[in-house]
Amino acid sequence: MKTKKLYFILGFIVVIGLVIYFPGRKAAREHVNYMTAVEDHPLNCVSCHLHMIDKGPIAKWQNKDYYSPYNLVISNDGKTLYVVAQDADKLLVVDVESKEVKQHIQVGDFPHSIILSKDGKTAYVSNQWADNVMIVDLAKGQVTDTISTGNGPSGITLSSDETFLYAVNTFSSDLTVIDLNRKQEVKRLPAGFNPAGISLSPDGEKIYVSSRRGRMVPYGEPLVSEVTEFNSQKNRVSNILGIDEAYMMENISFTPGGDMALISLIRPKNLVPMVQVERGWMMNHGFAVIEQTGEQRIVQFLLDEPNSYYSDPYDILVSKDGKRAFVSSTGVNRISVINLDSIRYILQNYPEEELAFLSYDLSFSRHYIERRIPTGAAPKGMVLSADGSRLYVANQLDDNIGVIDLNTLESLDPIDLGGTQKVTVARKGRQLFVNAGGTFQNQYSCYTCHPDYHEDGLVYNMAGKDMGRNVTNVQSLREINHTAPFKWNGLNQSVYKQDGMRFSTVLTRTEAFSYPDLDALSSFILTGIKNPPNMMYNPKGELTAAQLRGKEIFERTVDNYGKEIPEKGRCVTCHPAPYYSNFSFEDVGTLSESDDTIKFDTPHLNNIFASAPYLHDGRAYTLEEIWTKYGGKDKHGVVNDMTKMQLNDLIAYLNSLGSAELEAKEQEVLKAGVK
Amino acid sequence: MGFTQPDKNSDDEEAKAVPIYGNWKNFTKENGLPGNKTYAVRVDGDRVLVGTHEGLAVYEDGKWTTYTTEDGLSHNGVIAIDVSELTGDVWLGTMGGLTRWSGGKFEVYDQLNSGMANDLVYSVVCDGKYVWVATGGGAGKLDTYTKEWEIFTEENAPMHEPWTYGVCAGNNKVWIAAWGGGVIEYNNKTMHFRDYVDPDGNMEIDLFPDDGVVHDITTGVSYSDGILWVGTYFGLSRYDGVHWKGYFDHDSGLASNFINFVRAVGDYAYLCTDKGLSITDGESWVTYKKNENDKNGKAIITKGETKTEKAFSPSISHNFVLGVDVKDDVIWVATSYGLSRGERIKQ
Repeated sequence: MKTKKLYFILGFIVVIGLVIYFPGRKAAREHVNYMTAVEDHPLNCVSCHLHMIDKGPIAKWQNKDYYSPYNLVISNDGKTLYVVAQDADKLLVVDVESKEVKQHIQVGDFPHSIILSKDGKTAYVSNQWADNVMIVDLAKGQVTDTISTGNGPSGITLSSDETFLYAVNTFSSDLTVIDLNRKQEVKRLPAGFNPAGISLSPDGEKIYVSSRRGRMVPYGEPLVSEVTEFNSQKNRVSNILGIDEAYMMENISFTPGGDMALISLIRPKNLVPMVQVERGWMMNHGFAVIEQTGEQRIVQFLLDEPNSYYSDPYDILVSKDGKRAFVSSTGVNRISVINLDSIRYILQNYPEEELAFLSYDLSFSRHYIERRIPTGAAPKGMVLSADGSRLYVANQLDDNIGVIDLNTLESLDPIDLGGTQKVTVARKGRQLFVNAGGTFQNQYSCYTCHPDYHEDGLVYNMAGKDMGRNVTNVQSLREINHTAPFKWNGLNQSVYKQDGMRFSTVLTRTEAFSYPDLDALSSFILTGIKNPPNMMYNPKGELTAAQLRGKEIFERTVDNYGKEIPEKGRCVTCHPAPYYSNFSFEDVGTLSESDDTIKFDTPHLNNIFASAPYLHDGRAYTLEEIWTKYGGKDKHGVVNDMTKMQLNDLIAYLNSLGSAELEAKEQEVLKAGVK
Repeated sequence: MGFTQPDKNSDDEEAKAVPIYGNWKNFTKENGLPGNKTYAVRVDGDRVLVGTHEGLAVYEDGKWTTYTTEDGLSHNGVIAIDVSELTGDVWLGTMGGLTRWSGGKFEVYDQLNSGMANDLVYSVVCDGKYVWVATGGGAGKLDTYTKEWEIFTEENAPMHEPWTYGVCAGNNKVWIAAWGGGVIEYNNKTMHFRDYVDPDGNMEIDLFPDDGVVHDITTGVSYSDGILWVGTYFGLSRYDGVHWKGYFDHDSGLASNFINFVRAVGDYAYLCTDKGLSITDGESWVTYKKNENDKNGKAIITKGETKTEKAFSPSISHNFVLGVDVKDDVIWVATSYGLSRGERIKQ
């Protein structure tokens, strides 16, 4: 009787199991098919439901803390490296001989660059997400002073007499001038759009600052990015040099003799439909030379060669004898060695017209590229040893420092920074994100168009079958988890679909990512990309009077004449906190003739101040223009009753919007009425 | 080298006197200016910046260069100029927006692409990191660090209407010449306004010229050495922080009550009127006028009741004066027909 009962129970469980399994599996299959937009993605619940968790104990458990070395310097005696560990907010003191990390010095939020005083006793560290520069006493291993800067300080340098410290403010697009005697910022000078690199000429007379983004121009006009020249004696802007068809000029270096300044750059061809990738028509990578003698020409050279591209050049460094330059290409894990005597010969012997032509010739790089040296994952900042015989490179996503023998141009054993050895799924995704291996002939990586995992400010023709239609502004990837659907028209329900087969067909023109790689990439994109704190407009989480007035306008239900605003005409209807999106679709009256007739996916507005240009095709260069130029019919909110002062208040409020995580907390506080 | 105004404390009579300029040289379209109508002039180091109806003209090393909307200027009608002491950037108020000229690049702020109140910029002044403008739609304050604008009109400041004509800064304060609203003072520390209006409120005649600003329709303000000078279309006012004093063409050496522009440098106020240029220290006056029918003219020197004249050939290029600037011993005068350059001469 007991056996019968047992059989009955077991049979019942099996039947129930089968009843659940087959429909359940079918439902799971349908769900996975929907989310991935393919029919053969493995039914692995963990892919999404574990690795996409971005907060809480599970997220903490499955992820690890990495150092992510970004820039570095070396002591005057060549025995110690000082490494900026960006993700750990630390300065690592590394003994070169023993290859050991001797000290961890806590610095500010998201440190970017480091320089040393001439006597080697003091380090200056820029903290990009804290809007300051820290002064570190290296003997004590302590931060002794913190000096406020503009928004997003990155590259830094000292005046030749070490009276002034200059910090390039990437987010606010200017240059902070710090008087080191007074230990405070004394002025802020305008620079190009999104500047980063900085270099003082060997004679100490001028400072160059390179910008990462180009001037905003209407779609159809060629790109021009700026190098701003400052007079370091007067601390004033002295000249602005336009670098044609280039952007992402991450770094700049003078030769020791001062005859050239070299800038790493990318040449995007965003005006050409992206289906031309296989013709080499999407991205080129190279460097520019600004001659410092004679006509002071600006000449561009490619790093790329036929059938192989060297994407995402970051640092550019000149050997101590001025005969070679080194460029770290983050997208292909290589350092290119450039023979500068060849460059000098070319500059002296080729006419200008031919130089312009050759700057597009992939085969020409063989005349000046000496060697391609493999590195670890995502090489970033570089430094030469004191005697110039070694080159050290920060392998950002391997948590080590690569070492290169400059006599043999061979890699030596790297210096491990002692971090975790485990590569998590999200970390693997980040490595894939910055690597160009998934694109035809390594032409570009995800990072190329999404620098800092954000956006590059360009408008691209993403057309598939319809050339010239649907030009769109690149969207930020910061904090996009929980903001599906994706793409300007919201046609992608998941990042899987966005980055899957369609991605390879239209964008990368090579094999699609494998499913494990796609899982990892999605995990990183959805969990690993934060918004920097909004230090510019809302540093303390307290709204200013103008921002509070703007908030009232954002949430208003009646216009200036007392007339009720239809629900669809209120800002807050489509843009509710904390993401300031209702994840729905709307026609805001900005569809152009070349667009398909669709509604737009409502964008989230967190850190919207940092995402110019605006609207789906980047036609609005400023937030104001969304309404002054393109809000005429009140389809993008009812605004035409407003005064200019009210519009300014509204924009002040929009500028104040920060990370959704912080917004959520603020909303809770507001709801509780205890603000 | 800075501006070498005479030392008032000196025993030298020459040094105490209001400077007289002569050796006039005039510039028009015929010798390098893009047009004859000049609105503003500012000396910037070794170069002279001139706002004209046809663009920004720059005089350097004896040559003129013109910049227009094709170079990036917001509008060719350049009617106000200031140079930031902090950054060296040139700020240009035009009939179509505000333009920053930095390192050779023009950057435009207008009422569509920014929070600026109005595109008609009558006056601009740099005050540290802030740039103030007086426009046809209110005064504006630009934070050059954040690119945010604050607008001040009759809605949030003690103004009569949004129309503003002049703005100046000094001593941690900003003064705005507000049409029909007298002078509006903004305190940088308290971020509060106060106004100075004509106490008698009479629009036709000022019965008590020393009781406050002489008229509510103000056209220009300038601050130097603790003195605020206020130009109106009905006379001039001087304010030392305690006392006001009014000046008119009938009781002083002022060329005309119709004052287009005021610039104070050192102890002197330079007053651009519809009937010539006047310079004063508040006591003595030197007024420059061009003859009606020829290129010659004179300086009328007024000391108390005494008037003397000094003839010049040529004189300033036109009596309708719109702008002025001085550096060292050289004066530049913008008029509705040409630009004049004068040199200080012995009296």
